[in-house]
Amino acid sequence: MSKVKLPDSKAGKLAWKGDIPITSRYTAGVAGQKFFQALKEEEKILGTVCNKCEVTYVPMKLFCERCFAQLDETVDVGDTGRLVSFSVVYIDLDSKKVNPPQIVGLIELGNSQARMVHRLGEVKSSDLRVGMKVKAVWEMPLGREGKITDIQYFKPV
Amino acid sequence: MNQNVAIIGIGYTVPKPKTPEVSYKEMTYLAAQMAYKEAKISPKEVESFVTAAEDLHEGTSIFDEYTPDQLGAVQKPMHTVSGDGIQGIIAAALQIMTGAFDLIVVEGHSKASNIVTPTYVLNYALDPVINRPLNINPHYIAGLEMRAYMQDSKTSEEDVANVVAHNLTRAALNKLAPYGAKISPKKVLSSEPLFEPIRKLHMPQTSDAAYVVVLASERIAKKKVKPVWISGMSFCSDSPTLETRDWTTSISTQIAAEKAYQQAGIKNPAAEIDVFEIDDSFGYKQLQHLEALKVYEKGKAKNIFENGDKQKLSTRVNPSGGTLGVGWMHEATGLHKVLEVVSQLKGKKGKAQIKKAKVGLAQAWRGLPTTTCAVVILKNQK
Repeated sequence: MSKVKLPDSKAGKLAWKGDIPITSRYTAGVAGQKFFQALKEEEKILGTVCNKCEVTYVPMKLFCERCFAQLDETVDVGDTGRLVSFSVVYIDLDSKKVNPPQIVGLIELGNSQARMVHRLGEVKSSDLRVGMKVKAVWEMPLGREGKITDIQYFKPV
Repeated sequence: MNQNVAIIGIGYTVPKPKTPEVSYKEMTYLAAQMAYKEAKISPKEVESFVTAAEDLHEGTSIFDEYTPDQLGAVQKPMHTVSGDGIQGIIAAALQIMTGAFDLIVVEGHSKASNIVTPTYVLNYALDPVINRPLNINPHYIAGLEMRAYMQDSKTSEEDVANVVAHNLTRAALNKLAPYGAKISPKKVLSSEPLFEPIRKLHMPQTSDAAYVVVLASERIAKKKVKPVWISGMSFCSDSPTLETRDWTTSISTQIAAEKAYQQAGIKNPAAEIDVFEIDDSFGYKQLQHLEALKVYEKGKAKNIFENGDKQKLSTRVNPSGGTLGVGWMHEATGLHKVLEVVSQLKGKKGKAQIKKAKVGLAQAWRGLPTTTCAVVILKNQK
């Protein structure tokens, strides 16, 4: 192979910065509407079940990604679960230190094997263990917006 | 494979942490010049072009409009694959396999140093209603996966630190690896925690570089000097959501490898493949990928550094220093791995050369937050 020589690194270094405001709308859809309404109005985490594949989808999905069937069966998976994994986050999106560190958990809900990623709270990172039981801490009813953040975080029980 | 395809030329610029002196178009032009010279072709002969690129990494919408001129592809068929460069190579090889094309060029580049807010670009890749509202640095996904993998495979943080230290030390022998350094596992374990269990030295740093690969049908390739043949290739994605994916096994690597091995007639990859250039992001990914590639049984990849490594896999896996040593280059990451394998098969890797390398495998992961992986198997003889 012949060698390619880049220009002298002391050559021109002129550069410009550019950005644009991007705003998008994300439609909740048939399943999403039901899921987020249940979060907001009933303090429930709902999933849809594919009995053929033995999979429960949380958040609810209208279809099974494995067998492609339309899903009609809805299940309340409860708001407690088991910690499958966790990560302790020390820097934010701007790479600035966050104090105290944020803790994120991968939580298996109820007996459904459905999983959710959410914040963990009311716990020291040194006390966290895989397999630990956790429970959702809900936003006060008036503060709920039909968003995933209607659950503030999960805490150990 | 029903139509043989070979790589007859690769051009590149040397990966560097920053390249303020040259634009991405100029880098690509330099790589293209080098590739066309090696393949002994003119871009006028090329029938179709493929670029692997992602708009948000380029800072430009509809980036495929910006790709032809630096390749000599103006007024030619050209399309962009929004995926790793190995996916681009597969897209090009498939075109040749139809029998409708003989000569196709694939391009991928990284100007990662120009992405001023990379974490925000990464965050924008998360599900907008389920995950993004948590507003947490999304590298936590690697932290969650590393812990889940370690728990499932009974792998320790020391085992992962061994991978990082080994690859960075190997990179010091590779002229194309800007992050080579003699680092001990202890130093990895004591580096700053960022997304525990991920620490600072687990994190791949970014590089800038451009790669241009010339692919040809057998009709053209057999007339060229030292063509490198594609004997197996595949890519796929596991479940896209964080909620439904497998957090312990790289299912997409496993499925892609099974298909590629079948095409190449490989039954025992550890014995039949001489050199592996695979994704080693965050250290644990190398172990996870080696198991998915069936080089090791599940949970056994940590044994790579044990005494009695009779198959010398610690030498034959990522002799380049991997992505940790060379740098993360977004869509171009896999193309560097292809370059390293091709160079090995041609016996051109100097101090990092694996003796008598005849068969090599390059594997790439599309990066956080994806579950997409691609595999290509290359041979220096048909």
